[in-house]
Amino acid sequence: MAAVRTSSEIGFNRIAIVAVLVVTIIFLAPIYWIASTAFKPRNLATTIPPTVVFQPEISPFVKLFAKRSQMRNPASPEEYAAAPWWERVVFDGGEKIVRDGKGQVQWSGYPSRFLNSLIVAITSTVLAVGMGTFTAYGFSRFKVKGEADLLFFILSTRMLPPVVVAIPMFLMYRAVGLNDTHVGLIILYTAFNLSFSVWLMKGFMDEIPKEYEEAALVDGYTRMEAFFRIVLPEAATGIAATAVFCFITAWNEYAFALIMTSRRAQTAPPFIPSQVGSGLPDWSVIAAGTFLFLLPVAIFTFLLRNHLLRGMSFGAIRK
Amino acid sequence: MTQIELRGVQKFFGAVQVIKDLNLKISDNEFIVLLGQSGCGKTTTLRAVAGLETIDEGDILIDGKPVQHLKAADRDIAMVFQSFSLYPHMSVYENIAFPLRATRKSKAEIDQEVRSVAKTLQISDLLAKKPSALSGGDMQRVAIGRALVRRPKAMLMDEPIGALDAKLREEMRAEIKRLHIKQGSTTIYVTHDQIEAMSLADRIVIMHEGVLQQVGTPDEVYSHPANLFVAQFVGSPVMNVADAAVAEKASSASVTVGDAAAGFEFPSALLSKLNGHAGGQLALGIRPEGVLIRRDAAEGFMAVETQIVEPLGSFDIVDLKVGSEMLRARTKSGFISGPGEKVFARIDPTQAHFFDKASGKSLEVRL
Repeated sequence: MAAVRTSSEIGFNRIAIVAVLVVTIIFLAPIYWIASTAFKPRNLATTIPPTVVFQPEISPFVKLFAKRSQMRNPASPEEYAAAPWWERVVFDGGEKIVRDGKGQVQWSGYPSRFLNSLIVAITSTVLAVGMGTFTAYGFSRFKVKGEADLLFFILSTRMLPPVVVAIPMFLMYRAVGLNDTHVGLIILYTAFNLSFSVWLMKGFMDEIPKEYEEAALVDGYTRMEAFFRIVLPEAATGIAATAVFCFITAWNEYAFALIMTSRRAQTAPPFIPSQVGSGLPDWSVIAAGTFLFLLPVAIFTFLLRNHLLRGMSFGAIRK
Repeated sequence: MTQIELRGVQKFFGAVQVIKDLNLKISDNEFIVLLGQSGCGKTTTLRAVAGLETIDEGDILIDGKPVQHLKAADRDIAMVFQSFSLYPHMSVYENIAFPLRATRKSKAEIDQEVRSVAKTLQISDLLAKKPSALSGGDMQRVAIGRALVRRPKAMLMDEPIGALDAKLREEMRAEIKRLHIKQGSTTIYVTHDQIEAMSLADRIVIMHEGVLQQVGTPDEVYSHPANLFVAQFVGSPVMNVADAAVAEKASSASVTVGDAAAGFEFPSALLSKLNGHAGGQLALGIRPEGVLIRRDAAEGFMAVETQIVEPLGSFDIVDLKVGSEMLRARTKSGFISGPGEKVFARIDPTQAHFFDKASGKSLEVRL
């Protein structure tokens, strides 16, 4: 059917398109800034006015991944000529790549911090969403005594800024030896996200008609089987949305990661700013680290985009 | 062979009693319809039989064995929901196969049974589709298929066609009846639609506010309603009910409706059959087809004035003013042209019902 639209509808449409463009630009600008800076040579990263047209370089990434040290004198011409291209860009900045006794290039701290971020964020997301889903199902389907109070209590853990408890948490963590451990951060982030996950999943669970499970119960399944075979697939959209939010929170957390971790379990957020350079601040390297750090969230969200966009009302329930 | 029996079943939701001392015996292959308004306890009763709702007192017996403590899964009963409840993430095939997957049947057996049920219901070409791609009628066929496939001891249906539009509802009604005759299984069917109940049921169970009002064949329930509630709930258009006073005349009895000046003539046998209730507070019930109308005066007919005429196609419903009461009569279409006509009416004594106003119970007068 051809849509017939009035002039006011067309006018409104145009305004909407402009608004969407403006909002998109506002949201994409910082990402563009980080991405472009990540490929800028060090001396162009901080020019005023900003350099928009430049020859992109991979050097910030080389510097990001390799351990470097400051050089007193410029590299000798022979040394310079013998070095591979990616090492020369480090020489150009007055630094050199640190090698061990066998001449192996030493990694910087970034890859391990990145891995820590992945471990902590993924594990805490799985835990928070998993426990949240079960809890929400319980609240949604069964008569729980004091349900409203319990839900309020769960939510109340979010009623003060988490940083307020940072110092006591730090002392407690030190006392029980959870400082600078993956487990410590995972517990912390799971606790942060759990209340959010319970509330969000409760909303999604309430949306799933209980007739689905009842049909399964009558059809010869236990409640547990009905939960896994009927409720979980129906809740996939909600689980995906909750997981994205929990993942982003855990992935981006800075303050606690800075306080609670130093080396072994340190995540990328506190590490990146510590790489301002072994001399002057090297913003290109920081931008490169940030740029790579953006990717997992972008990929995760992209993979789940269908779930995030699809409405809940695709079912076969007739009211 | 499945008999279901409810014995003294009571159910409370908090302080509200939704089922009050319900006793009912359903024999093998019987098609029972629980009929009542929403909130009368009929769906709760059905869910209690299914095992989706616990009961507070009484017994539910299937084939003589109490099952009220069994889980729904262990009662071997199938249920069709008003919302159909097809699992949206599964294909039609998977939906029908789902109950079989809970058993230890082999893949080949399951496949064979799914296809055979699909064939019976003429939905073989839909097996690969997702429920969201189906029409309402097809969804219902799939839901029935999912219930049938396991060959359960009994089928429970909770307003299974209530969500369909009028034409489809009529089609599916006939289909459910055909299927029941063909497959023959003990069935409990819940509806608030008395036409559905009349057309499908072997016996109708009418409930009101958690209390069983009457159990009987459609004909019994229609012709001999046990009380005022059943009288007015069953039948469309609704039965006329008016306060009535019975008086003795020379060779007959006279029934005056409301504050009308004159009474309708009844055989004198009425007085003896009323059995002493004649002087009490009575209500007369008469279905529109029991109010007879003619244009010219005749013995026993009373002059009345027509009010509104509702043409319903195959017949008309005419409102007649009798005193301050309104009696609705069923006439041939076009018999009365409009309001304000003077016609003559009488009440067919064989179709009249008398109720005790205080208790609402029928006085079982049959003339």
